[in-house]
Amino acid sequence: MKSTNLRYALRAGFTFAILIIFLILIAFDVTASSMIDKAMGIDMAKTGAKTPTITSLIFFLSLIGLWNGGNAGRGQERLGIKVLAGLVAGLICGLLVGVFSFGLGTLNARGIDIRVYLSALSPDSVNFLNYGRGPLVGAFLHVVLLTVSGVAGGLLTWALGQKGWRRALSSRLDNAWSAESRSSFNNRISRSPIFRYVGIVLLLTILAILPRQWGSYWNYVFGIVGIYIILGLGLNIIVGLSGQLVLGFVAFFAIGAYSFALLTAPEPHHLQWNFWVALVVAVILSALTGILLGLPLLRLRGDYLAIVTLGFGEIIRTLLRSDLMIPLTAGPRGVRDIAGPTIFGHPFNTDVDYMYLIILAVLLTIFITQRLQYARVGRAWVSIREDETVARATGVDTFKYKLIALALGAAFAGIGGVLFASKNQFTGPEDHVLMVSINVLCIIVVGGMGSIPGVILGAFTLKGLPEILRDLELYRLLAFGALLVVMMILRPSGLWPVGRPHLETEITNNPPDNSSTQQKGEPV
Amino acid sequence: MSRRSLFQLQISWLPSRIIRWVLGVAILILLLWRIINVTVVNAKYGADTWLRFAISGLVLGGLYALIAIGYTLVYGILFMINFAHGDVMMIGAFGGYFAFEALGAIKIPNAMDPKLTFLNAYPILSVILAFLVGMGIASLTGYYLEKIAYRPLRNAPRLVPLISAIGASIVLENAAQLLFGPQRRDNANPILLARGTGWEIPISGNTVILTYTGVLTFALSVLLMLGLYMIVQRTKFGKAMRAVAQDKKTAALMGIDVDDVISKTFLISGALAGAAGVMWGIHTGLVYFFVGFLPGIKAFTAAVLGGIGNIPGAMVGGLFLGLVESIGPAALGINFQLKDVIAFTILILVLIFRPSGILGQVLTEEKL
Repeated sequence: MKSTNLRYALRAGFTFAILIIFLILIAFDVTASSMIDKAMGIDMAKTGAKTPTITSLIFFLSLIGLWNGGNAGRGQERLGIKVLAGLVAGLICGLLVGVFSFGLGTLNARGIDIRVYLSALSPDSVNFLNYGRGPLVGAFLHVVLLTVSGVAGGLLTWALGQKGWRRALSSRLDNAWSAESRSSFNNRISRSPIFRYVGIVLLLTILAILPRQWGSYWNYVFGIVGIYIILGLGLNIIVGLSGQLVLGFVAFFAIGAYSFALLTAPEPHHLQWNFWVALVVAVILSALTGILLGLPLLRLRGDYLAIVTLGFGEIIRTLLRSDLMIPLTAGPRGVRDIAGPTIFGHPFNTDVDYMYLIILAVLLTIFITQRLQYARVGRAWVSIREDETVARATGVDTFKYKLIALALGAAFAGIGGVLFASKNQFTGPEDHVLMVSINVLCIIVVGGMGSIPGVILGAFTLKGLPEILRDLELYRLLAFGALLVVMMILRPSGLWPVGRPHLETEITNNPPDNSSTQQKGEPV
Repeated sequence: MSRRSLFQLQISWLPSRIIRWVLGVAILILLLWRIINVTVVNAKYGADTWLRFAISGLVLGGLYALIAIGYTLVYGILFMINFAHGDVMMIGAFGGYFAFEALGAIKIPNAMDPKLTFLNAYPILSVILAFLVGMGIASLTGYYLEKIAYRPLRNAPRLVPLISAIGASIVLENAAQLLFGPQRRDNANPILLARGTGWEIPISGNTVILTYTGVLTFALSVLLMLGLYMIVQRTKFGKAMRAVAQDKKTAALMGIDVDDVISKTFLISGALAGAAGVMWGIHTGLVYFFVGFLPGIKAFTAAVLGGIGNIPGAMVGGLFLGLVESIGPAALGINFQLKDVIAFTILILVLIFRPSGILGQVLTEEKL
């Protein structure tokens, strides 16, 4: 075993130790174990136990240990070295975690409440961390468990690495995921009209039946997902297609929601307009805001525009929250009793009805963005995104098209805001925080910038999954942030990247240079 | 290719530029009229109040300037907004907070006062230690931030590292929230530096308190800025940094280790942000996971205001923004809730009327 291998294994073990200690500090071990319990059919609430079962903790920690051991021997072929690397990494990791848990356990045994400084570490969770057996035994068990699982990880990766089937699998996966093969697949599907129409009819039938079948919980979850699909597609026009990074998207959302709310609610203005009229006015107002903001600011590029729009979003929120606006927007209290839609005088506002409304809006949004993408406007946007100077030099009126993108994106944000306010029958300043913008941005980044199916996929993953995985609620934002960084490093084009249309044939034998969009990430 | 070299495009910009300037002058006149109306005609506040505003503005401005330098250093070299910089400051604030807590827990046996702690027995040493801890942790955070989140994206399109930075910022904030809890913590200063105490300045019948914490904060931030300026202008490393900022490729050809310079830049900017964080804790007493967000955004505003990439510009911009933010609401006669609006409005106005900032040179398109 060379010293570089040893050093790599040591470093890997150290990194994993820090990871595990961090997870313990935010009490993720308890959450993960209770989730494993649930998967096994043991419910903490029913058994009345304060902590999950120890078995789940062992399972959770040995999973990380396996990963650690497998990772330590990466790039090695021989069994001995792999196992040795796993041993070293596991031992280091186990020792560090053991020392840490011993320290925590001793503090706990002395009756010091660590929660004053580290709020997640309750005495129960520390006790649980030490397998309920006191600091010394707990620390020893950690060392043993992590070392054994590290060695097992080494063995496992060696076994998986045999016959090269792992590599074959990963390369096949890569092929399946690559944009070219997907776009050719898409083309094949979309070129045969029967498939297309059958698919559309099938989808519509499902969408028409489902909201009545599943309960109000799923209507709630998918209602949120639907609204975020609309927001995501709107921001996708601005960021994904025309390449202007706007971080204040929530401002347009807020303007849509608020102007709709003020027009239809009894307080504070007593206007009580019809839903549909107010909807149109609210959307137009949002689009106008986009234009007004864009006129002076669209000259700015990239990061400047990002910060300015972020500032604009904060201005709107601060204004909405301030006492100054109480007569106009009811200030921090927000607007209540916002009207629901009516059709020919009949109220249309149960959760099932809203689901239909949202589905309709989503389909409309998808249709419009889909058509725009391949229209002249869409091609102009993409040319601006790729290189603004070149686009200008080839005769694209960049300013005009950027303004159109901003106005359209803002209009979709307005639709989202209207639906959101009307569905909740309430809107207040706290509905329009920066996190909304960041969430929407995450959706399009994770899904794949500029890609409509990507945005839909992103909305389902980022808004749908957390609603389902309620246990992970606390860690959601942390995971969001980490996901953004990891996506940017490993897969900057998103989960479902755009298949670029190949309008010209390749003349050279060299593979196309994707270095500007496809960054090769370093192994992490 | 700079925008100014495209002659034909200049013509199409001309009308909008005239409109812009007319608008700018109109806004300026309106603002002046309003300020004169409020301050001179109505004379709502006396001289003591203005002095108090000015003092708090200068202290705040010093902090903004320190953070803004971090933005400017990184932007000057990598042309990216280190969105997580405010959160690095937050980490520094937590470092200082925990250092104070730890020092406050050490008992010094003493006949006079059995409750005497290290913190109060050696206040100056304690403050120095707290700064070392805060700056150290923050600079390490900055260092690893660059290594993990930015270095793999060195040659990516410019949106990519920015999004990564936003992600890193979310991670730092939420990690701090999960670790230390969402509650606001009260920074335990040594008694010597108790918040609210200070020299009393008699002025127009009232007294204005010049707090010790404020003086410490301002003096230290000026010192640190001077130190940084010396490093950048006088040392070999500063020379390397300037070279890398000008042209990475050529600098590398001249034998400069570009990666090393970038790493050290993040160390330095992290240390400055950490110092600002510790000072924030000492002066305002508030330490919690979101404490870095608004100062971070405003410090970025300050950096843009002074001309991004320009170190003296960041200093001037920071002080200016601090002053405007603290005097502005009173001078304009508006609600103090709206002071954040003033900062962001200034950002928007600066970017409309003078994107290169007060002291900035006209940036080429690559850097803009």
